Amino acid sequence: MTALMMKAMGPMLWVRRQLRPDAPARCPEVARVLQPYLDGEVDARTLRLVSEHLEDCRRCGLEVETYTALKQAVHRVSDPPAEPVERLRAFAARLAKGELTDPP
Amino acid sequence: MVPEIDVLYRVALSITRSHADAEDLVQDTLVRAYRSIDRFDGRHPRAWLLTILRNAQINRTRRRRPDLLHDPDEVTRRAATTEDPSAQPEDAAMVDVLDERLGAALDALPIKFRQAVDLIDVSELSYQEAAEVLGVPAGTVMSRLSRARKRLRDHLAREGVLPRRMT
Repeated sequence: MTALMMKAMGPMLWVRRQLRPDAPARCPEVARVLQPYLDGEVDARTLRLVSEHLEDCRRCGLEVETYTALKQAVHRVSDPPAEPVERLRAFAARLAKGELTDPP
Repeated sequence: MVPEIDVLYRVALSITRSHADAEDLVQDTLVRAYRSIDRFDGRHPRAWLLTILRNAQINRTRRRRPDLLHDPDEVTRRAATTEDPSAQPEDAAMVDVLDERLGAALDALPIKFRQAVDLIDVSELSYQEAAEVLGVPAGTVMSRLSRARKRLRDHLAREGVLPRRMT
């Protein structure tokens, strides 16, 4: 699968083609859809096939655990400071009241 | 519109890499949004605001420096140092170490990879929303994200913070 082909098909179609419709998923197939699976970007059938595989496969289970820990850590350590968001909320409130027409 | 400001700021931070520029970009976005609110149909406010933010950023980048983005392929992988395959991420002490080491791993990512990670994992956008912000197909977001996470994982595995990749 080339990057160009992926670009043309879009991610969901690409993800769908990684798993055979009526067979249990195997480790290499699960590895190919693991990231979109973790991001909730797979269709219901792929979700079911991957979840069934993970019930029995310790190796893929560890991969899910590792990337989930990584994903959660990225969110945790990248929390932006509250002050700019508060200033922007106040700015939006002033805009909504018609007090501003351009950024100060 | 106000409930989306948190998301807008995170997205702006992802693409500008600067708190000051991010704040300016969101202000610019809000002003543009209020100016054009008569043309907004009321559906999908986040997508509408992200489109405005992206257009505002394109204008700002054109005014400043057209060569802002680096090519991810220019960055070479660091040599392997140490690893500990027995490391388990659920260990509470390991979580602290993971958080501590993650900053350097994120900073080592090429900018395009870092943006994908930030937009999906920090701003919690969908692949399609991130694709619209970056002006690339959703498949490209997925590809960059996957490569970024593998680099992060390899970086942290070399430090013994995460298990090494098996494939």
